[in-house]
This record gives sequence, structure tokens and C-alpha cells, in this order.
Amino acid sequence: MSWTIESLREHLQAALAVEHATIPPYFTAWISLKDTTNVEAVEIIRSVMLEEMLHLTLAANLLNAVGGQPSLTHRGFVPRYPHRLPFSGDRFEINIERFSKRALETFLAIERPEGPRARPEARKFHTIAQFYAAVRDGIDELCEQLGEKTVFSGKSARQIQPEAYYAAGRLTVVADRDTAHQAIREISEQGEGAHDSVFDADQSICGEGREPAHYYRFLQLVKGRSYRTGDTPKSGPRGARIDVDFDAVYPIRANARAADYPRGSQLRGALEAFGHGYGQLLAALEAAFNGSPDRMTEGMARMFALRDQARALMQIPSGDGKTTVGLDFTPI
Amino acid sequence: MSAPHYDAVIVGGGVAGALVARVLSQAGRSVLILEAGIEGAMNPDTYRQYLQTLYTEGGVRGMPNGPYPWNAAAPSPGIPNAPEPYYTYDTPMQFMSDYLRMLGGTTLHWQGTSLRLVPNDFRMQTTYGQALDWPITYDDLEPAYRRAEAELGVAADVEDQRFFGVWFPEGYVYPMHRMPQSRVDQFFDAALTGKSVKLFGGNYPLKVISIPVARNSTPNPKYSLGEGYDAVPAVGDRDQGQRCQGNSVCMPLCPVQAKYSALKTIAVLARKPTVEIRTQCVASKLVIDPETGRITGVEYKHYEKPGGGKFRVETAHGTLVVLAANAIENTTLLLASNAANSSGQVGRNLMDHPYLYVWGYSPTPVYPFRGPDTTSGVESLRDGRFRQVHASFRASLANWGWSSEPGNQISLLLGQQTYGAALRRQLAHRMSRMVKIGFMFEQLPTPTNRVTIDPKHRDQLGNYKPVLSYSYADYSLEGIETAVKTVWPTIARFANVQDETVFVDPAPGGYQRVTYNGTGYNLMGSGHIVGTHRMGSSRKDSVTDRNMKAWDHPNLYVVGAGNQVTIGTANPTLTAAALSLRAADAMLRELR
Repeated sequence: MSWTIESLREHLQAALAVEHATIPPYFTAWISLKDTTNVEAVEIIRSVMLEEMLHLTLAANLLNAVGGQPSLTHRGFVPRYPHRLPFSGDRFEINIERFSKRALETFLAIERPEGPRARPEARKFHTIAQFYAAVRDGIDELCEQLGEKTVFSGKSARQIQPEAYYAAGRLTVVADRDTAHQAIREISEQGEGAHDSVFDADQSICGEGREPAHYYRFLQLVKGRSYRTGDTPKSGPRGARIDVDFDAVYPIRANARAADYPRGSQLRGALEAFGHGYGQLLAALEAAFNGSPDRMTEGMARMFALRDQARALMQIPSGDGKTTVGLDFTPI
Repeated sequence: MSAPHYDAVIVGGGVAGALVARVLSQAGRSVLILEAGIEGAMNPDTYRQYLQTLYTEGGVRGMPNGPYPWNAAAPSPGIPNAPEPYYTYDTPMQFMSDYLRMLGGTTLHWQGTSLRLVPNDFRMQTTYGQALDWPITYDDLEPAYRRAEAELGVAADVEDQRFFGVWFPEGYVYPMHRMPQSRVDQFFDAALTGKSVKLFGGNYPLKVISIPVARNSTPNPKYSLGEGYDAVPAVGDRDQGQRCQGNSVCMPLCPVQAKYSALKTIAVLARKPTVEIRTQCVASKLVIDPETGRITGVEYKHYEKPGGGKFRVETAHGTLVVLAANAIENTTLLLASNAANSSGQVGRNLMDHPYLYVWGYSPTPVYPFRGPDTTSGVESLRDGRFRQVHASFRASLANWGWSSEPGNQISLLLGQQTYGAALRRQLAHRMSRMVKIGFMFEQLPTPTNRVTIDPKHRDQLGNYKPVLSYSYADYSLEGIETAVKTVWPTIARFANVQDETVFVDPAPGGYQRVTYNGTGYNLMGSGHIVGTHRMGSSRKDSVTDRNMKAWDHPNLYVVGAGNQVTIGTANPTLTAAALSLRAADAMLRELR
């Protein structure tokens, strides 16, 4: 296919959407785990979610570097769940649901490494890795055609700086072809791991050693055992035992909708308040990604507020005698 | 088989001992840390369990040692439901502060405030004719303060902290930016900017400034000549704690470990091959060579089970012996060993910061109960000519409303027949306007405020429990009167705050009643235990020299806040950390 700056920007905006689409389901599964139980599950899901947030921000830095304008508030940016993830061959649906074996199966499907990368067929990608490989090729192609300076025309003041992100991984400031490659590598390898390895490629983290890539991190919960140094995809996890209690979970309704409850009712009000908060969060992030990086602080405060709101919603009975309310991320 | 010999045997696995071990082990020296308490919070599961206790047992919330278990083999003061008191007293007044004997030490309940002392704190005799001068000056300690700020991870902006001669080298920035200021802070800042109070013939501005704190905020990319700073995450979970989350549960334990505790330093030590950490080992006696005065061994009791019971007596040997067990425990060990006391000063000059709260309603909502317990203070009364006659003090702006102060209207409201929307309205109206200020006062070194031992008072393993004598001198009480009768009313007037302070009699739990000039005050302790083995220029009136080496023994160092000659008005952990790093440098020179 033949690339233009415009099509590169469109792809990077699509990258924002795909990275974002995994966050609500991971967030929901994490919060549905009752406090103090399933410590490993909490840590694993939360850590993967934090890395998806990093990937979202990296995608924004990439898009800004090539002169684009990240958008997070347009209609449809928050997908309606159940949702089929783009670039995944339409093989599975993602739900907003409690932590369960079924949810874990979905997470494994999202993060499954695809082995040696097949070349993409024109604009049709079967895997997310293929998609990012194509974007990388596109950047290279455009740099050769137009020159690096023309491609990376974005203002450096629009980049989110590394100190804004602080869990595992690096927030790369994108300014040229090299840093763009670095950002893409960070996104794809943190997710699917280095070739033929359980662990992600990031060896720069001192202290507590390398972490398994997302797929293998989730697989530990299925196998009930953690990976240790030296383990391979073939060997499976041979480290410490992990106990998973699938019952110590809030029984939330899957894919709850505010509209399921009558207008003016307290439950609808509470769900809409959550959706409103989520919309405000996306607005703050969008502003941060569009020249006001200081708005990131407000975004973080909103994330913690949403966490507390979500915990409350998961404990309110939904009225059917079995489930609790659940979450609706639709911005209001 | 002979027992291993270490370059240094360190008694105490708190912040002072951990920092000494860090410096020595970085230079390749072998170190044994003997910790009297249990591993406890070092284990992430146990940390979570303590947090859970804090969340579910409301009664322990206000207590610094609230979530921690009683340990008969190495008791701590202030443990809830303790079967027996740990302190005994020779005086009617009690010492209101406690500490924790557990790996990580009292940083498992500290607030994180990391102010430096001001230069005049080091030369009180020369400047104000009070107390003694230190054998070192602010200038001597300044480099160690910077290193301590790196180890503890302090968040502050240098511009705020330059007062009373506190200086920083050109270009220095703290590892992290200052914490965002709360709305309470902003309210007082707006009301007090440009305002001042008259004291002792001088005008003192009532300027609100951000407090330096060992809590992860945003790293400053300019730190260390542009190298930046990596915020240290939680022990056992690198995805947690790189930033304060504003959980409003700072003390005793930060839920995500955004606040520094010595556990973070110990986690680094635990990976070093030359460092050995033994918990459940209570040092009970220093073995002294009568000819040379050298400490030839540290005798300790190693108990098997966390609660105590069976124990073995063992001896550890090191070229150097370092006591880092807290100002009170260092004292009981020295006294039990008849060590380091040719000056007669061991255990004397015990100091703390008497603490007092005032509170009221702001005219407009300030929305407390958000963020860390305190993020700003009024620091402008920490030094001045008035120190010739009365204590200096600082004022912390509290972010958590009135908390459990008497007269807290929440409990009253709940007791009334008000329900539903009416109750919500009243609660919102009152709680959103609750402001509170904590005043922290200087104490002078007083020989009769002291720690002693008595064969009648021993713990389960037969070790001495501290016997305390304590009182408040007029110097402090005069400062308290000034704060309550002059400074607070001035602040309240400028800020249009409706004063609701009452010092109820008898004082509620955790407070002690003191009457001065006919007015009764309810005082707390600050947990700032200082001065029991002070450093000095002369072996006649001090226990250690300018490098914190005991005058009486060629290989004994005594580190921690016990070395402080004066207490000033800085929370002592940062100074204790800086002093420990300075002492560790001297140890390295000696081991070379």
C-alpha cells in the first residue's frame, strides 16, 4: 500500500482507539476482585491495564509527533460492549464483565502472541502486531519519500513527558524515526513479548526483574503458577503457586447500561454519574494530548475517583436478586 | 566453627541502621543487622494484613502503632490492648510518644515530614544563650541532608525552603516536585499572605509554605544535574506507590507505599551478598574489653516465635559496633552494658515536640479530608529573638478536618434525631468548613528529662524496660501560651475562622493536661524522640563525638536522633538520616 501523512495519522488515531478499548474491561475485572483476596490476580490485571494506559499515551505521542491531533471525545471512541477488537480477525468479543474464567479466556485472546509476523495485506490486519508492523513500515516509507523532518513536524511541547507515567515501562518522547520505532517496540513487545520468550523485552528495569509479557502474565492465573527466570513458552510456569478464588468477586451484571434503569431512578443516576466521570477523564486526557500536558494531573485525580465510584457501584444490588449494578463507560 | 566476623554489627533495622548498612555495603563492607522485632511489614502479605486491621478496626486508627501486634519478646510502647505498659515513670508527667520495634522501625508509622533544621538550631548557646551548641554546624551537615533527601525520596521545591539561613548549593533541586497544596492550604495562603504577627518586639510573617515530605510526587527532571530521579515503588509491587494517590491514609501505613519507609532501603540491602539481616534478635548487652574499652561482641537473645517464648543467647562480632535502635533503646542497651557513660549523660536530655491542636470553622467551604494529612505549614516562627525566652514552634495545616477532636460535631449530629437529607445538609455544611492547625513546640535539653533502667522493670526475655522522667519546662510552656493566645487568634482573625477550640478537662485519651498561668492545655507527643546520647565537642558533657562515635570506646558508634543536641522544630527523621550517613562515612574511613 502507499502511505501518506494523512493515512499514517489515521492509523495512529486507530491505534489510540484499539489501546483504549482494552482498558474498560481490564479495569472492570480488576475492581470486581474483592479487596485483600486474589492478591496476584489484582496485581496482574492492574499491571497489564497500566501498561495499556502507557500504550495509549505512546500512541498519542506518536500521533502528535507526526502533526496529528489525538481525539478521545468523539462519538464512538468508547465502544459499545460487547465489542469486537479491531485488527483481531473478528474472532472474539470483549465484554465489560467481572473477573471469571470466561473473562480470562478473553484476555488471553486479546494478548495472544502470533508468532513470526506475516506481512500485512493492504489495510487488512489479522493481528495487532501486524498492524503496528505496518505502521512502522509506513513511517519508514514516508521518511524516505519526504524526509524525516517533514514527517515529524509535530511540536515537541505537545509530547507527554516521561515523568507523567510511572509504572513499568518507559514513556518515550517521540521526535524522529528512531524514537518512533522505540515507542512502537515498547507497545508491541510489552504486550506480546520478545520472540519465543515468556518475558517482555524491557530489560532496563532494575530491581525486581523482568515481567512476563501480557499473555503469559494472564496465563499464570489459568495455570495457578507463576513464571520464574528460565521458564519458556514450552516449559510453562514453574514458579510459585498462585491461588485464584473465582468466588471472591463482586457479581456484577455484564455490559450494564444506564438505560436499563428508569430515568430519574437512583441506580440510573449512579451509573450516569460514572459515565459522566469517564467522559470528563477522556476530556482531560484529550486536552493533555493536545497541548496542555498539565491536564494529566487532573486526569489522574479523575482515575482515582472513578476507581472509588466503581467499587461502590459493584456493591449495589441491581434488583434482580443475584447481581450487583456493574459499570457503563458510555460518556455522558 | 568460629562465629563469622563482620566489618560492622548494627543493632536496629530502622532507617538509621538501614542507611548505615547501605553506605557500608556499597563500599563492599560486610554488615550484620540485628533487629529486635519481627520481619512484620517487610512481608507484603503482612503489610496488607496490617492495612486491613487499620481499615476494619476503627479503634486503632488514631494510634501510631494501631495495626501492630504486641510482641512480648521485644515490646513497643503504644501497642493497642497491650497486656502491660512498656514505659514506667518516675514523674507524674508522662512521655506521650512511642516508637516501633519491627524491621523498618518507626518509619512504619511516621508522617514523612522531612524538614531540615535551621542554622541557629545548631548554635542555640551562641545565638540565644540557651542549651548547648552542636559540635557541627548546618554547613557541616548540609551535604548529608542532600544525600538523605535522595535516600528518603523527598518532594519539595527549594524556593519554598530557603528561610532562616537554610541554604542549598547553587542549582540544587529536591528529587521530586513539592506535593500539590490542598484547598485548606490555599485558603490559609490567601488569607495570610502579607500578614504578620508581633512577637517579642519583632514582626513575623504568617507565610504558608509547602512542607518537604518523603512521599513520591512527580520526579524533578532537573534533579542531579538533569539525571532525574526514579520514584521508588512499593516493596513487593513495582506498579504501586510511585506517586501519592491521595488515599488520605498516610499514618501509620500508606496503602500503596508512596510514603518512604525503611523497608524500601532494606529491600535493597536484602539483595546484597555482604549484608545479613537477622530478625527476632534482641541485643541485650555489649561485651567490653576492660583493658581497651573495645566492644568485643554484642550479646543478643534470639527468640524463635514472633510472640516470644524460647530463646537462645548468641554473640555477634564486628570490627565496628553500631547502635541504631532508637534514642530510648540505644539508652537502655548502653545502661545495661554500663557503656559509653563516663559523662553521665546517657539517657539524659530526652526531648520531644509537645504538640497541640486548635480548630474552627472556615467562612467558606475548604473541602478537607482529601490528600495527605498535611501538605503545608507556617514555618516563620521556627527561629527568632524570642528564643531567648521561649520555644520556637511551627504550625501544620491539617487536611483531615477536626478528626477526633472533642466537639467534633459529627458524633453529636448522629446522636440527634436528624435523618436523611436534613442530616446530609448539616454534615456537608459543617464538615466542608472544618479547619485544624497543629502546633509543634521546641523543648530544651534538660538533664532531668531522662531514660533510666531499674532491675525491677524487665520484659519477658529479661531485658530492661525504659523508666522515664519527663516534664515540660517554662521555656516550652511560654511558647505554647504564645501560640494559643497570640498567634492562633491572629491567624483566626485574618482568615475569618470561627474558633471552636476547647481543651476539655480531664484530657481525652492520648493527651496530657498541663496548666500554665492558670490556663489548661491538652498536649500530645510528636513521636520525635531525641537527645538521649547527644554528640558534643567535649567528652565531659556528651556521649558521642562529632562523628557519633562514643567517646569511651574505640569501636562503638551510636547513631540516630539520640545524637541531637537540640531538637529545634524539624521533625527529626531527616536529620537522623543525615547524621547516620555522616557517621557511616566516618566508619568507612576507619575500616579502610
